[in-house]
Amino acid sequence: MSGTDQHPGVSELQRQLSRKQIGRREFVRMAALLGVSAPAAYAMASAITGTPFASTSFAQQTPKPRGGTLRIGMRCQDLSNPHAYSWIEASNSGRAVLDYLTITGPDNVTRPALVERWEASPDLKTWTLHLRRDVKWRNGRQFTADDVVWNLKRVLDPSVGSSMLGLMKGFLLEEFETGEVDAKGQRKKSTRLWDANAIERVDAYTVRLNGRTPQLAVPENLYHYPMLILDPEEGGKFGVGSNGTGPFELVENEVGRRQAFRARRDYWGDGPYLDQLEFIDLGDDSAAAIAALASRQVDMLYSADINTLSALEKLPGLVMHKVDTSFTAVARMKPVKPFDDRRVRQAFRYATDNEAVLKIAHRGLGLPGDHHHVAPIHPEYAKIDPIRRDVAKAKALLAEAGYPDGIDVEIACKPQPGWEPAAVQAMVEQWKEAGIRCRINMMPATQYWEVWTKVPFGFTTWSHRPLGVMNLALAYRTGAPWNESSYSNPEFDRLLAEAEGLLDVEKRREVMAKIEGIMLDDGPIVVPVWRALFTFADKKVLGFQMHPSAYIHPNTLAVSPA
Amino acid sequence: MIRYLLKQLAYMAATLLAVSFLVFALNEFAPGDVARKILGAYATQEQVDALTAELGLDRPLLVRYVEYLGRVFRGDLGESLIYKAPVADVLWDRLGNTLYLAAIAFAVVVPLSIMLGTLAGMREGSIMDRGISLFGVFVASVPEFAMGVFLASVFAVWLGWLPGTSQLTSGAGWSIASQLVLPVAVMVLYDMGYLVAMIRASMVEVMRQPYVRTAVLKGMSMPRVIFRHALRNAMIAPFTVILLQINYLVAGVVVVETVFAYPGFGRMMLEAALAKDIALIEAGALVAVFIAMLTQFVGDIGYAALDPRIRI
Repeated sequence: MSGTDQHPGVSELQRQLSRKQIGRREFVRMAALLGVSAPAAYAMASAITGTPFASTSFAQQTPKPRGGTLRIGMRCQDLSNPHAYSWIEASNSGRAVLDYLTITGPDNVTRPALVERWEASPDLKTWTLHLRRDVKWRNGRQFTADDVVWNLKRVLDPSVGSSMLGLMKGFLLEEFETGEVDAKGQRKKSTRLWDANAIERVDAYTVRLNGRTPQLAVPENLYHYPMLILDPEEGGKFGVGSNGTGPFELVENEVGRRQAFRARRDYWGDGPYLDQLEFIDLGDDSAAAIAALASRQVDMLYSADINTLSALEKLPGLVMHKVDTSFTAVARMKPVKPFDDRRVRQAFRYATDNEAVLKIAHRGLGLPGDHHHVAPIHPEYAKIDPIRRDVAKAKALLAEAGYPDGIDVEIACKPQPGWEPAAVQAMVEQWKEAGIRCRINMMPATQYWEVWTKVPFGFTTWSHRPLGVMNLALAYRTGAPWNESSYSNPEFDRLLAEAEGLLDVEKRREVMAKIEGIMLDDGPIVVPVWRALFTFADKKVLGFQMHPSAYIHPNTLAVSPA
Repeated sequence: MIRYLLKQLAYMAATLLAVSFLVFALNEFAPGDVARKILGAYATQEQVDALTAELGLDRPLLVRYVEYLGRVFRGDLGESLIYKAPVADVLWDRLGNTLYLAAIAFAVVVPLSIMLGTLAGMREGSIMDRGISLFGVFVASVPEFAMGVFLASVFAVWLGWLPGTSQLTSGAGWSIASQLVLPVAVMVLYDMGYLVAMIRASMVEVMRQPYVRTAVLKGMSMPRVIFRHALRNAMIAPFTVILLQINYLVAGVVVVETVFAYPGFGRMMLEAALAKDIALIEAGALVAVFIAMLTQFVGDIGYAALDPRIRI
């Protein structure tokens, strides 16, 4: 490693690794975050620890065959507004045509993509992104810094409704009063870039982010799934024939039915190996998914439901792909009666038996949850005393809050994925003993997603994210668009911003311990389970690795000729 | 006859109008207003009011209904919320697929049921009668979803002879025809039990009639008795029932379409209902009612043609 351009944090990481304060995997991930290329980081890790790293995920051992068509069973959703996607399925379709600036692999390590390398200032407030110079849009135009600046500014525009806004708010945005008043006479607030130069075009191939506060996870945030890089000339719209820097072109798009992609041969990155990629919408009926896979109308499923596990295990010629994640669903409460009292929220946590829910609802595949929404697989996970089931304590808390006879509540949930209603039923039974009488309002998934930020009490799916701070920033920071529980705690916000600026994992973990404590004490959620994610694919499917976010990387996929 | 036809057509038009109003009003008056439905039960009142104003829902129901009718007459059914496409495009495409499936199922189920019903009813209490009746009761009592999963397990998963779903794309090496076999089989089996029972009962009744006995006694061969005398008379009562099956085959096959991921009308209506895609629900309901009335209308005319005692 030539030391000149190296971020000072890297030597700190090397020191931590040699003292075994962090694991090798964590070292590689953190070093990559600071701009060290992944192979170099792996080499450094081996040099420090003296043991060679097992083969890395993306590196392909044998050359993959070219050609062929791959069909994947997945819901085919509306694709028209990529920056506002709130579905991973839609982003998988988008990922075939469009690229991201960075890419987080199945091993949780973030690497450069459209960005060739990045540099962070020592205070982590300024990030310089050096773009690849060999990237061309499909229509032949050169990819430049102007494209990146346009996309970054667009996702941070409140009118677009992108969930990137919540991730970047503390770093690049500030709140201001619009001068308008709403119907109640309150001044309306909105967000804008904190400085005109916040997103700076340095030259044709360099973009600089000048942050207001330190931010550690810039590269990882740039792989948040709505952060697809669109052609500015198309004004944010996406559809058949849309321009892209990615490996495929969208040739057919029938929402609810089928999406087909044709490979382009001048892709700048790895692949594409396939000639054609298709997503086939099999509806929400798992019987249809199994039957389609059994008769090879699809070669693999985007992801498999726990209810289908035993059936899929019996089908011949299939391979199971599995990965541990921080995927979960949280029972979250809005600050309305009776949930406005933190003792009531605590009572829910004391009334829940996570181990039992995991066994009942997810066949033990995964880990028991932590009620603060930071998972053991997150690098900054602080192992604090978990809340264990204590029915007497839950009852006492309810009584203290003024509900000696218990409470009657209703939880909204959806039938898919299948483990969720099972988990809700298990929890409702457990809560009953603590005097929480809960009615289950099961609504169709589509209907649930219409109201997920609005119901007082609901059970909402949360995707895996590589860092613990990312989920917390999306879901619990005051005013974030996805803050479904309307949670607002200034101390939490302050500590979260602090954690987001700490490179040193040990120090960050100390802050995380405080944050986790706040969540256990005051937080709005019950987190019963950390799911393992899995799916099944035909043996002939090559290059697929289950990603903890269920992201599909179409450029890496191939099929072996029959 | 002409008078009758005109009267019927006027009656149908009136019914359609009434239904369109009812569906429109139901969406309005079902607990919570339209904006509340779109936003969900727990949206704040301000959000609901804002959307209500935005959608123009604060104006009187009749005004909006008349506007809606005006758009429908101009051929504008609105925009589908879930499919992000004009309702007409989605509706006709899915309806076409379902009519295709229904036509094949109908073409199979009717001759098959007539044959089995006649064979069973010809000699009441015979072994053939008992066998066919038992089979009919069995297939009619197995729910469609169970039958669908069962047939798919055997023919798609176990034997591998047929594809497990019917997406109507021939990409994966299964012909469209092969994809139709299982859904058609489920529809035919499920529907057949009822039809066979109806036809058998009617046949038994006819075979007891004096004119059949006379025909047999005068030495006519059994096939001639059946075809010349019994069958036509035995078909009068089941005829309307047969036509009513069109209703089921077009608008009632939600389960079959879902189990086999068939891109049809039933699955579309299900997804529209789940997503509160009101424009699509309204248009779909009108089509379903229209089909129901049309089959009834055809039934009335056919009834008159079959039974000379009826004059219309």
